[in-house]
Amino acid sequence: MMFKRSLAAVPLMGRITLRQLLGRRRTILLLLLAAIPVLLAIVFRAANDADLEGFASGVLDAVAVTLLLPIVAVLFGTAAFGAEIEDGTILYLLAKPISRWAVIAAKFIGAAGVTALLVLLSVLVSGAVVLSPLGEQGAEATRAFLAAMLVGSTCYVAVFLTLSLFTRRALLIGLVYVLVWEGALSALLPGIANLSIRQYALGVANAFWQMKPDEARLSPSTALPLAIILVVAALAIATWKLMRFELPGGTD
Amino acid sequence: MTAQLPQNPGPGPDLQGPVGPAPAVAPAQSTSELEPTAAPAPQGAPAIELINAARWYGNVVAVNDLSFSLGAGVTGLLGPNGAGKTTLLHMLAGFLAPSAGTVHVLGRSPNRDPSVYRQIGLVPEREAVYPFLTGFEYVRFNARLQGMRDSDQAARDAILRVGLEDAMDRPIGTYSKGMRQRAKVAGALVHDPQVLLLDEPFNGMDPRQRLAMMELLGQMASAGRTILFSSHILEEVERVGNDILVMVAGRLAASGDYRAIRALMTDRPHTITIRSSDDRRLGWALMADPTVFGVELGTDNLTVKTAQLSAFRRLIAGASRTAGVRLFEVVSGDESLESVFDYLVRR
Repeated sequence: MMFKRSLAAVPLMGRITLRQLLGRRRTILLLLLAAIPVLLAIVFRAANDADLEGFASGVLDAVAVTLLLPIVAVLFGTAAFGAEIEDGTILYLLAKPISRWAVIAAKFIGAAGVTALLVLLSVLVSGAVVLSPLGEQGAEATRAFLAAMLVGSTCYVAVFLTLSLFTRRALLIGLVYVLVWEGALSALLPGIANLSIRQYALGVANAFWQMKPDEARLSPSTALPLAIILVVAALAIATWKLMRFELPGGTD
Repeated sequence: MTAQLPQNPGPGPDLQGPVGPAPAVAPAQSTSELEPTAAPAPQGAPAIELINAARWYGNVVAVNDLSFSLGAGVTGLLGPNGAGKTTLLHMLAGFLAPSAGTVHVLGRSPNRDPSVYRQIGLVPEREAVYPFLTGFEYVRFNARLQGMRDSDQAARDAILRVGLEDAMDRPIGTYSKGMRQRAKVAGALVHDPQVLLLDEPFNGMDPRQRLAMMELLGQMASAGRTILFSSHILEEVERVGNDILVMVAGRLAASGDYRAIRALMTDRPHTITIRSSDDRRLGWALMADPTVFGVELGTDNLTVKTAQLSAFRRLIAGASRTAGVRLFEVVSGDESLESVFDYLVRR
């Protein structure tokens, strides 16, 4: 009975999560961010409309996968719980006869869904602007980056959502991870590809379109299982943590 | 709840103690509107029971060695700022695990068993409520998460009970503080919980709303619910019920009916104000009795200090008759909750 009730509560809590995440200011900011690859695509198309490799590497990988995706994911992923813990509304979910995994599932689906929607839309429109005239090759590249965004959204949100249950500085730590670990260190140290969400995303993209080996270091057969293990492990840890959730300390 | 007052002055270990045998839990709520729920609390068990419960953060002890049990009825949780009231409520609500001891609500440990929330309603102190939901949507959301079959009707009923029907279709973000508070209460009682925990529930309400809310809590208590609410306004507690838990510096300073607690405060004399046909003559007559150790003659009354209130009540009748004095008014001036609270906090 508890399982059935918990399962039924997931869409209810998911809708609340979506309404929380899609606050006006955050949505406008992220829509502006998502528009950057599209604007770059328009510029790229105007300057050089035939360079598939250049667009994929310079805009879709360097801007959409490396910057847009993790930034949107860290903002939504950490806000899914962070804001509720901060203002205390989390109690309205936790003081209910619902299993904690259901709360995690609702938050995860809400945050990953809205992240994926935004970044997929950005890649789809950018791809349509530059890659559609390139025929099948362009379509393959677009599909590859859509897959990368989907895998990346899922992984990043799972990790950042979990992080927000452990620290109030999840947003800061998330940004440091994105910029330092994935941005700088993974470029300098190819060996850490197995510990990079960006590499999981690009590795899955390899299944649809052959990426440059120095950009996508993992094969799809390695990247996909690693991504699944990461998401499952992160959500399991998040559930474990939420089962031990305590209100911030005090003496009253 | 039996009144308990520590014998030792000052907040020491002896201040704690079980309140005594609590009344049996009232019959379980009707679940006709609910899906089948988890097993109810064992028959006869107190709704709320703490045994040597403590909670500390590093070196800071928030609550220490609390033992009491509560059955049906309204109990006011009192204490100065920093006394540990909110920590206690959070422990009861399952959002703080005890560092030591046990905390049971309806026979279960609330921080390990979410199914107990089927029978608990919680009104936290913090004001935040989803601002984008209307009052009705918020209460219905709570009803749905509780698994209620007719969540729309349950939400409407709860909103009516708190008198928020005129604003139920407005977003909570536009509500006043008192309206938000009432929306929170409606959300907490929409599933008709057996135990209701409220942290400063009257905050932000105007006097009329406060009275209505007090009446509602009284009705729920009469229907067998266990209600524990914290407040720093003594008048509120006094109006809602007689039973109190007084916390001072993380410890339980006293528990039970505050009038009974006052009667146990033998180291503090009772002050009685008397108006009579001849205050001076009556004063002389009373001074002869060993239970009276202070008489003060005022311009139009007589103030008497005694350690034994019940003995004095017997004394005054006989003494006035013997002295040939007519009594107009006899008022025990420090029987109020404020007086009791002031005494307990200063000990």
